[in-house]
Amino acid sequence: MSTDVRAATSTIGVCWKWVDVEGDPRRAGVSAADQAALETAFSIAASLDAGTDSSTEITVVALGPVAAEQALRGALAAGAHRAIRIDASAHLPSDRVAAALADALDRVDLVVCGDYSADRGSGSVPAFLAAELDAAQALGLIQISVDGRVTAEGAPVVRALRRLDGGRREQLTVTPPAVLSVEGSVATLRRASLPAELLAKQAAIAVLPGPSAAEQHADTIRPFRPRPRVVPAPVGAGALDRIRALTEAGATVSHGETVTLDPPEAAARILAALREWGYLEP
Amino acid sequence: MLLERGPFAGSKNMYGGVVYPRILDQFHPNWWEEVPIQRWITRRSTMVLTATQAMTVDFRTQAWGEPPYNGATAYRPDFDHWLAGKAEADGAVLVTSTTALGLLRDEAGRIAGVRTDRPDGDIHADVVIACDGVNSFLAKEADLFGPGQTEAGNYTVGVKETIALPKDVIDERFGVRDREGVDIEILGGTGGVNGGGFLYTNLDTLAVGVVLKLPALGAQPRRPEEIIADLKAHAAIAPLVEGGTIVEYSAHLIPEAGRSMMPRLTTDGMLVAGDAAAMCLAAGIWLEGVNFAMASGIYAGEAAADALRAGDTSAAGLAGYERRLGDTFVLRDHEKLRRAPGLVLSDRVQHHYPQMIANVVERVFRVENPRPKPGFRRIVREERKRAGIGLRDLARDAWAGIRSFG
Amino acid sequence: MVLVSRRPEWPEISFEERIGTTRFDVHERAHIVVDGSVCTDCSTRECIVACPANLFVPTADGGIVFNYEQCFECGTCYLVCNREGAITWTYPEGGHGVVFART
Ligand SMILES: Cc1cc2nc3c(=O)[nH]c(=O)nc-3n(C[C@H](O)[C@H](O)[C@H](O)COP(=O)(O)OP(=O)(O)OC[C@H]3O[C@@H](n4cnc5c(N)ncnc54)[C@H](O)[C@@H]3O)c2cc1C
Ligand code: SF4
Ligand code: SF4
Repeated sequence: MSTDVRAATSTIGVCWKWVDVEGDPRRAGVSAADQAALETAFSIAASLDAGTDSSTEITVVALGPVAAEQALRGALAAGAHRAIRIDASAHLPSDRVAAALADALDRVDLVVCGDYSADRGSGSVPAFLAAELDAAQALGLIQISVDGRVTAEGAPVVRALRRLDGGRREQLTVTPPAVLSVEGSVATLRRASLPAELLAKQAAIAVLPGPSAAEQHADTIRPFRPRPRVVPAPVGAGALDRIRALTEAGATVSHGETVTLDPPEAAARILAALREWGYLEP
Repeated sequence: MLLERGPFAGSKNMYGGVVYPRILDQFHPNWWEEVPIQRWITRRSTMVLTATQAMTVDFRTQAWGEPPYNGATAYRPDFDHWLAGKAEADGAVLVTSTTALGLLRDEAGRIAGVRTDRPDGDIHADVVIACDGVNSFLAKEADLFGPGQTEAGNYTVGVKETIALPKDVIDERFGVRDREGVDIEILGGTGGVNGGGFLYTNLDTLAVGVVLKLPALGAQPRRPEEIIADLKAHAAIAPLVEGGTIVEYSAHLIPEAGRSMMPRLTTDGMLVAGDAAAMCLAAGIWLEGVNFAMASGIYAGEAAADALRAGDTSAAGLAGYERRLGDTFVLRDHEKLRRAPGLVLSDRVQHHYPQMIANVVERVFRVENPRPKPGFRRIVREERKRAGIGLRDLARDAWAGIRSFG
Repeated sequence: MVLVSRRPEWPEISFEERIGTTRFDVHERAHIVVDGSVCTDCSTRECIVACPANLFVPTADGGIVFNYEQCFECGTCYLVCNREGAITWTYPEGGHGVVFART
């Protein structure tokens, strides 16, 4: 990633995870969050370019087989400038995916990803990618804006809103280089115009070699299903009490505890708490 | 340019289950080597059901299991996707996920293209071929239907379950091997609603469904999935389908009334083909539409190309379309069978004849010793009366039947 | 030996499970809109029994609740409904709506 960020012509990378859950490429595609990421890139680009004669370039990268090019053509038709397919199995471990994406996105200022994929992976690729690119990260965003403010080096300042537990929000200010990941609700990908759709059918898609076969240890993919959690039968005299007990409605639940610890101890404390609350096997 | 509103060709399309692709011989010789089918039909059964009885006429030929084949079960999302790929390979530009919203007209009011739901989505064209299926809003917008032709009474709704079973279980239950398949058309078995049923074998699924007459379906209390459940519970059907799991549920309309509901097929700058023009042949023992759609599409394309070459895309310039249809099975079969849909969906054929036939057969085969076997004619007479069928009705229907099917 | 005719074995399946076997890529715009005020004085209610996707649900106060999401786009409802203006029927946005696989 370039460290000399040029406000004049920026480059935004968008990462898509092409997923074929059913083993039927005709019904495969990318998640709503990935689509929202592209639309977010368009609106950031529009804000950056407003009133200037610069043109922010948007590159979309996807890992996957040839069939994934259909989705990339959709991105081009919607207005992306470049599309790159990394020729690899779409289901590599996140760190390998991030390394391959980082290679393809070497010189971009911002990267926008969806915060979940169509097969509901762990959502960890953006974090790995930020580490690979040595960039800041702001993940799970529900709102993004660029208001024309720039840093001392001339880089655009991104203001973002992040969802926290309990309906709270966190305001973030991010400066490039940065990796952002967005929820599907932030934006709806625009519909490609008919002429653009026709042009995209012809468009060239750059293909980069993926990680070697040896590195491609494929996970099995299946549709997302949340893990079951054992919930004890509710106690209470009346139905209403039992419903209250079950939904915790009206109760002030506080699983919360604020502690200040070093990372290894913090991790251990978190695991212990999750066990205690029934989210993990004891 | 080929417009498709679904994400891929075939994604919106549902039918019973058997395609007859003979018409493709002239364009893609040996199409059978690559067409994505499930099983080649080598057994065709026509089953007449009453509440407790079943009579089946079962035909089998190994000839249909070898090139050049006859019919095959296939999933439309596979078949249509493949066929659209062929069109693309031959130079068509397929644009998916794009819905035609309406017609464009030039200053003179002549059809000059379609408007789609994409930004900048107008497509100007010298000829529009409306093959947008049974609901054809394009043919309706062009005002090609006559009064009453789009009444609910001219349609049936087909509702179907795709049921997964292991291939060897299907092979065993239906008495077939490898890629051999069975097509069962069912008369009766749809409760109080006139219509019919079907049961087809795919490789490792069955297609089980009913075709129900509108608006009658809405005027009685059983819902479509309940009518299918009753059919599946029938003693003659249950052993074939039980134990399987539903892997897809679907529904689609059929233009049922054949020739009598066909719109004008040609107007200045536009042709209508396939179900949009009600070219589906739904006549009891036949339920064919895909072959009619493919053929009419081919002829529409040829006529449009001729018209473009001649520089005249008015209705007169496009007249080659109806000439081709009239010279081939498309309109000939429909002419011949123009009375069949009404006959097949009549109450007598739907309820009274099945009961009578089943009772006759039951008595013919019933052994009532020490009484001697009754005469066949007497059984028929008694059962006809019992089913409440007048001699004149029988004679009239027989005559209509001979004229339609003969 | 006594042969008892037995009910065929069918795994229980609710309507939600049944329709859940089919894929719908739902668009945010409702492609079919039902004007409940027209339905209030409709006594025949063909839509309720005829819609294969079971999308018309009567309410206690005599109205109709309609959900467009899991719709086959078949057209049965507008054909069986006799009331002018009750159903506004269009196709969903290109690329959305029902996506069949094994039909
Ligand atoms: C239950 C049932 C059982 C059947 N069984 C059989 C059978 O066993 N064998 C047989 O041969 N036939 C059968 N048929 C009939 C057969 O399905 C039809 O006759 C055939 O599909 C007609 O083909 P078509 O191309 O004219 O229309 P369709 O198959 O309906 O295709 C229309 C196409 O146009 C697209 N489209 C529609 N409107 C628009 C728009 N506005 N913009 C863009 N695209 C649009 C649709 O997405 C679709 O791809 C059956 C039908 C039913 C319902
Ligand atoms: S949609 Fe039509 S049939 Fe259904 S309740 Fe309303 S008016 Fe009656
Ligand atoms: S189009 Fe068909 S599935 Fe959709 S609401 Fe109408 S009847 Fe039901």
